[in-house]
Amino acid sequence: MDALARAIARPEPVAGLADRSPLAGLARRSVGFADVLAQSVSAVAPAGAAFTTPLLVSALAGGMSLPALAAALVIALLTASTINEFTRRMAATGSLYTFVARGLGSAAAFVAGVGLLIGYGFIAMFALAGAGYHLVLLVARLLPVAIDPMLLAAGSIVALGALCLVVLARGIRLSTRVTLLVEATSVTLIVALIVAVIASNADRLPVLLRQDAPFDPQGFAVAATLAITAFVGFESSAALGVEAKRPFANIPRAISWTVLVSGVVYLGAAAAQTVGFDVAGLDPASSASPANDLAAAFGVPWAGLVLDVSIATSLIACAVASSTALVRVLFSMGREGLLPPALGTTHPRYRTPLVATLVALPVVIVVPLAVVFLTGSVWTAMTVLIIFAAAGYILAYVLACVAAPVFLHQIGELGWWPAIKAAVAAVALSGVVLLYLAEESHGARAFGVWGFLALLAAGIAVYWARLLRRPWLRHAIGVYDHAVAGDVLGGIPEAEWVDDAGPADRRGR
Amino acid sequence: MAGERGAVESGLHARQPKAIHSAFTVLEEVARCGPGITAREISANLRMSRATAYRLLNLLVQEEYLVRLGDLSGFALGRKVAELVHVVAPPRPPQAVRDIVASVREHLRGGVHLVGYAGTALRILDEDPDYRLTDASRLSRELESSAMGRLLLADLRREADADAGDGFVAETIARGFAVQTGSFDPARGCLAFPIRDGDGRLVASLSLCTAKERVEHPGRLLDELRDGAARLGPLLS
Repeated sequence: MDALARAIARPEPVAGLADRSPLAGLARRSVGFADVLAQSVSAVAPAGAAFTTPLLVSALAGGMSLPALAAALVIALLTASTINEFTRRMAATGSLYTFVARGLGSAAAFVAGVGLLIGYGFIAMFALAGAGYHLVLLVARLLPVAIDPMLLAAGSIVALGALCLVVLARGIRLSTRVTLLVEATSVTLIVALIVAVIASNADRLPVLLRQDAPFDPQGFAVAATLAITAFVGFESSAALGVEAKRPFANIPRAISWTVLVSGVVYLGAAAAQTVGFDVAGLDPASSASPANDLAAAFGVPWAGLVLDVSIATSLIACAVASSTALVRVLFSMGREGLLPPALGTTHPRYRTPLVATLVALPVVIVVPLAVVFLTGSVWTAMTVLIIFAAAGYILAYVLACVAAPVFLHQIGELGWWPAIKAAVAAVALSGVVLLYLAEESHGARAFGVWGFLALLAAGIAVYWARLLRRPWLRHAIGVYDHAVAGDVLGGIPEAEWVDDAGPADRRGR
Repeated sequence: MAGERGAVESGLHARQPKAIHSAFTVLEEVARCGPGITAREISANLRMSRATAYRLLNLLVQEEYLVRLGDLSGFALGRKVAELVHVVAPPRPPQAVRDIVASVREHLRGGVHLVGYAGTALRILDEDPDYRLTDASRLSRELESSAMGRLLLADLRREADADAGDGFVAETIARGFAVQTGSFDPARGCLAFPIRDGDGRLVASLSLCTAKERVEHPGRLLDELRDGAARLGPLLS
């Protein structure tokens, strides 16, 4: 222990460390594991997707819906584990955009950045529209007054969007606490429903193993693809790299747990639905409102109400979490100069990226309103918005999986397993995104596919034009939270590592 | 079956100390080679498999005992390593030192404490038994919040020739001692006087924690503290 003892007694001065992180201004190291986990889980919104995804999957894969969900879970786990090669080593606010920039350089980073902005932005829009949709259902159930449902949905989109804006502006602790509380409520409700259905029909469980149709590989692939779209968002806690306490431990853990929790909820929901429909003698494919049909068949109409509350709250949490990540990616790009520098500023007291929030949230509110009025139905608007989001996310995942081994090689830490893992995930996800876009491009929602491609191209063009005018950007993009002097033994301590949360919070980390 | 399970359990117990040993070996190697050493170099120097070295390094980074530098390929010891020092209680100061501190306590109303400095860490050497420190662990963790910590920070930043223009650093350097009011208790504050060895290196400090108004208008209290610090200097270096 000689060298260690000497180093502690007389630390060797470490030169070349900045006094401040390049991402200074945010509430550095201020939110704990539960909040970080809530951020990722809420962005996935498993309670919101738990009812719709298994239904869509079983419509495509028939009796193979559980294996299709399991396959999606494996791909999501491989992707999460590959993304964690970055989160264990880099604390950033740009999430996958920053990771891709570090591994593959500026051109790939633009594509990933635009994909990620589309992903976070459109999932926030989808969540606002979805929360509005379910609130309308709730109001209709509770108050038999005739209010125009479109107007009511539009009103709730605006109100919830404004709520998101206030929560996001007032500090990261408030927004993560709100999402934690809301998401915990909705996941508890949905798990309780799943357990209730399965427990009361335990004797019917063998129905899960029944194979009534021949195996259809294409249907299975499309079903697995759809199932993967239900996992997107799990990486969003990577955007809290600066604000999380012990980020290199908490963020990777939050990302892995999120995928596992969502996977278990989906598998449970799929099993509960199969059993439920079998018991009730209903056909899931022909049911217009499966939740209510099931609830009615079981003689528990209040279960439908619980489900509506659970889905609506889950989607509200999803809107807050996705906008939190969206705003931090914009903040990162503003700090680098890729976007106007005002976006890279923080509020001195709340220590949140206020300008980015004020720019992003109005867009997140107005676009779903426009799509709702154009399509004439909230549900149709939701199905279009989700295509943008899923495609954007998966595109960014593919690039992150390609970037991971390159990054590990650059820092001299590439091993066999991370390389294989990344390759399998990248190939599977590329297949998924192509299959997904191809599948949706000749349906009623083709507008979503072409709209996504057009938006992606426009975004890349804007970034490219900015790069041509500012060639130095090539070396400036991809900022992450450097170790500051105060983090290093022998570095010169700076005020930055002291957070001003109360003493009780510090002990509780 | 029971025997098999017993073997698995004893295997776990046998392996864990080895993992801890390996982790300390990695820390020791980073300390020996200095900041900037890469994962590859560590695995080569220690003849450790790369996968093991990467896993240990990432674990130590997660726990913040190690920190990745600039381009993420090099490692340095984290501040938390210095906190390990607090686990070990520092030796009791010699009788002569305790006598001087006790005589200062007789002349002053309030808590008179002696703390020592080692590198960037602060250790409590002699805490006033009649007026205990409000939060001893916060004192050593958050140097900014206490007068004793500010004294150390001001000294470190002066040595590094960092911008001495901000806040308490410039004030402390100009004043020659450090002051804090309201950080731990809104009605109280603290004055800390440096104790330097023959070379002028900061080794310890003598401080008085008392009511806020007395800290703000110390008057002859300063002379008592300055005198005590001057007498302690030759005994603590």
